[in-house]
Amino acid sequence: MTTPLLEATATIPTGRRRPLARRAALLGLSLLAAFAIVGPLLLADPSAQDLSRFLEAPSASEPLGRDDYGRSVLARLAHATRLSLALSALCVATALLLGTVAGILSAWFGGWIDAVLRAVSEAFVAVPALLVVLLVSALASGGSLWALYLGLALAQWVEYFRVVRARSGLVLGSPAVEAAGLLELGPAHVVRRHLWPDLRPLLGTLAALGMVTSILAMSTLGFVKVGLQPPRAELGLMITESFPFYDVAPWMSLAPIAVLFLLTVCFLALRDSKERS
Amino acid sequence: MTDPRPGDDLVIHHAVVQHGTTTLADVSDIRLEPGRPLTIIGESGSGKSVLAHAVMGTLPPELVARGSMTIGAVPFDLADPTGRRHLWGRSLALLPQEPALALDPTLRVRAQVAEGVAGWRPRHPDASRMADERLARLGLTEVGGSYPHTLSGGMAQRVAYAAATIGGARILVVDEPSKGLDRHSLDRLADLLSAHVREGGLLLTITHDLELARRLGGDVMVMREAAVLESGSAERVLTAPQHAYTRALLAAEPSRWDFPWMRGVAATDAAAEPLVAAESITKSYGAAPLFEDVSLQVRPGERWALTGPSGAGKTTLGNALLRLTSVDSGSVAHSRATAGGRLQKLYQDPGHSFPRRVRLETAMGDVVRRHGVEAGRVGSLLEKVGLPHEILRRRPGQVSGGELQRIAIVRAMLPRPALIFADEATSRLDLATQATTMDILMTEVEDNGCALLLVTHDTALARAVTHHQVRLGSPDDVDIRSEDPVAVS
Amino acid sequence: MTPRGAAYAGVLARRAAQGVGVAGLVSVLCFLIVHRLPGDAAYRIAAGRYGYDLVDEEAAASVRAELGLDRPAWQQLGDWVLDLVQLDLGRSLVTSRPVAEEVGYYLVGTLQLAAVALVLAFVLGAGMGVAAARRPGGLVDRLATGWVASVRAVPPFLLGLMLVVVFSAQLGLLPAVGHGDAASLVLPALTLGPGLSGLVARITRDAVVEVRASEYVQFAHTKGLAERWVVLRHVVRNAAVVLVPYLGVQAVILIEGVVVVESLFAWQGLGHALVHAVFWRDVPVLQATALVLALLIVVVNTAVDVLVLWLDPRPRRLEATR
Repeated sequence: MTTPLLEATATIPTGRRRPLARRAALLGLSLLAAFAIVGPLLLADPSAQDLSRFLEAPSASEPLGRDDYGRSVLARLAHATRLSLALSALCVATALLLGTVAGILSAWFGGWIDAVLRAVSEAFVAVPALLVVLLVSALASGGSLWALYLGLALAQWVEYFRVVRARSGLVLGSPAVEAAGLLELGPAHVVRRHLWPDLRPLLGTLAALGMVTSILAMSTLGFVKVGLQPPRAELGLMITESFPFYDVAPWMSLAPIAVLFLLTVCFLALRDSKERS
Repeated sequence: MTDPRPGDDLVIHHAVVQHGTTTLADVSDIRLEPGRPLTIIGESGSGKSVLAHAVMGTLPPELVARGSMTIGAVPFDLADPTGRRHLWGRSLALLPQEPALALDPTLRVRAQVAEGVAGWRPRHPDASRMADERLARLGLTEVGGSYPHTLSGGMAQRVAYAAATIGGARILVVDEPSKGLDRHSLDRLADLLSAHVREGGLLLTITHDLELARRLGGDVMVMREAAVLESGSAERVLTAPQHAYTRALLAAEPSRWDFPWMRGVAATDAAAEPLVAAESITKSYGAAPLFEDVSLQVRPGERWALTGPSGAGKTTLGNALLRLTSVDSGSVAHSRATAGGRLQKLYQDPGHSFPRRVRLETAMGDVVRRHGVEAGRVGSLLEKVGLPHEILRRRPGQVSGGELQRIAIVRAMLPRPALIFADEATSRLDLATQATTMDILMTEVEDNGCALLLVTHDTALARAVTHHQVRLGSPDDVDIRSEDPVAVS
Repeated sequence: MTPRGAAYAGVLARRAAQGVGVAGLVSVLCFLIVHRLPGDAAYRIAAGRYGYDLVDEEAAASVRAELGLDRPAWQQLGDWVLDLVQLDLGRSLVTSRPVAEEVGYYLVGTLQLAAVALVLAFVLGAGMGVAAARRPGGLVDRLATGWVASVRAVPPFLLGLMLVVVFSAQLGLLPAVGHGDAASLVLPALTLGPGLSGLVARITRDAVVEVRASEYVQFAHTKGLAERWVVLRHVVRNAAVVLVPYLGVQAVILIEGVVVVESLFAWQGLGHALVHAVFWRDVPVLQATALVLALLIVVVNTAVDVLVLWLDPRPRRLEATR
């Protein structure tokens, strides 16, 4: 088989501190999730206005200050984080389920099922996710959560479909599955022992990336004013709304930017550590 | 710096190669002289390839070399990999392992050979013409304008030879040239190498193929675990070895095997219903036919070999007989005795025949449950093939190729098969491991009264193991031959 | 030459089919929008045309009639497809100008921005990738990895805002919005380019590391070929074989970025037009811009396929494994 010489060349050195990055990412995500779950229960109403406290600076009782309507930035941030995480998770779960099932069906049965699913996916691949979301949200009256959910899930399922189909094709065509066929171990064995263990890490990576895409797409749509509508607390909207006040009330901009950045960085770090393991 | 002149010897005074604290090679006083080839033989991991790359100065950066060598009167420090770069292609050339990977897939063959001309630069006036001449001399007149993926393994080997030697290097290092090559292509290469030596060149060959070492003659060195065990003339070492390891190595050659299951042709019943009956089957790959109008029947207990050069369609024919591949015309019938998972297959790379992310015991457990294997049978089979039961706790990637192939044999035996199809099952193993593995397989085949279908490019192995041989050459030239005349279909 | 000719024909046929599929998908989505347009949306279209102060129920009804919303759905779909086949894109509901004319104008703007951003991304990304590949695991490699992660984590609109704050608002060096002169192109391109450069850098780095370690590059060295020619003839070409297909992926990201960045900087391009059309429910413009954006991606991917075929003579492994 390969000589030690070649084995030595085959390993390209990469960073060694992956487990640490992974732990930090998990810790960061759990803190953000806790904030998103507990925050809205404990904090004040995010839409409660108090114009007398217009652009109040951060203080002990109001750690992130108040915005241009005198609303608590911390409370709005908690609600926005919850919205981002929950909606993204829902979109990713839907796209993952749809794409994985379609991908496995396509690779397993081939023939016309594969041809039809592939034709549909080819069309979706060329349409940017943002465009699909834009069109779907145009379909509904502005600011509907349903449109956003449908659009994001529709835009993302192709990714899972393509990856799962390609990988399942490789796995199902492998000698290991051929051997399982000769041993007459049945389809349940193939799914449990061959397909699922092989797809699981891949899907984990894709899902982490999908969370980033969803969170960013949501805030971007909020920013271009075709996503969710004010006065809903959403990260992109909060960044847009705070922009005119960036020099007088920087806390208003920095808080949602920091959360957005933390969310994406943590998911990306998680993705990277999964990729290398 | 003075360059080596014709007639100079190459002497490795001392060479040590280490990876971390592990010593991969540690040798001294090796002399390479014109007209007398030196062949280093040994199994994988013996350090022979590492030594060749230490001489060339092409070790990967993780490996550290120490020591010195001289070419003629010019000394070189092995620790300094850049000191020999100016010799590459001009005085010192390497014929790499797996020539198919050593050729750039995006460039035409002529251009890749021309690059080896001394002082090459774009639009070099003579390079293309010289490359064409060189290719023509190797019988490759037509391929100058082709891309590497269209070449056979043997042709790619000769193209690589042309590219390596066109620069006029006298010292040629050949690294494991037998990988993936059939005997015929290897013989052609041996002729080229011998011609290089006759013209006054120096030749250092690294191989695990004893037949190649025999053909090249000159001197032979046997390496194991980083050290040289014995050396001497090829005739002496390969006929009257002194070291026990060399004797074991020689005895592991299939032509010298002597195992109990080889004695006496098992009594097979010519009237028995065939397990597998192929009726004039034909299969094409794209436009090129692989085999045409082949009919053969495998009866219980028979041992068949499908042989032929790489790319001849041996594996495809075997798969067609197991109905793993569809045929273009004709039919393949399986008898009732083969139903219920009683046709089994062993693969060239056993690592790919197990679910790769699942523990072996889990994968085995599914087989045990499906076929109602009695308790203890896995254990007793593992004991017979000489493996501890704990090995099943690992995943396929954590077990060596030889051990995994033995586990694959155990798995294949669980449904009590009527026929085993071994597809180059030992071709990636070292000679000694091949002998052990084949012994284990055939003992099981014998004990279970199982039929065997062996696909191999190694005719010596086919002769040692089977009684019936199907030789595939060109598609219309399928030669079915038997040492047991009764059994011929 | 015939097999390669056939390969080119195959690529073109496949991409043409994809183009038809994309047109179909976008059309169906657009048709659904028109068909399901809620009452207040017709109102909104009318408002977009006449202004909120002048709009009344009558104007909304005329919009509904103009869109043919009073006819059965199948009839509307038939008309729609017929018009599309004749390349009749209709007139904008807001400006009343022919849509084809408007889209042509916006297309030029988008192509300008995309070209500058792509060149920037390529120079930045490929340069960084090659530098990182010199010593895998070294300092430059780590810095490049950090860069790739941070540009991925910052959405274009955020980067754009930050650039506006720094270069326009604080330093007053560059215009934040506008269209036409070279200076107004700088900030949009600077917003798009770095985001795209991350992927280019990562792919280039991995490709160059892999190609340099390949046996054919090793062999080119031991043949005695000078280092410079090894790089130019073997490394660049084979790394390109890996890199070029990713440019197709880039096209999708680029178009997404264009939509956002154009809105942010009020750059007169298709993305800007699209977002406006969605906001004002200008259905004909919406359809046309979405269609052109999606077809742009198909065109880029076709070019990528042809380039890959030209670079790499090996027969494509059939996409389907079974």
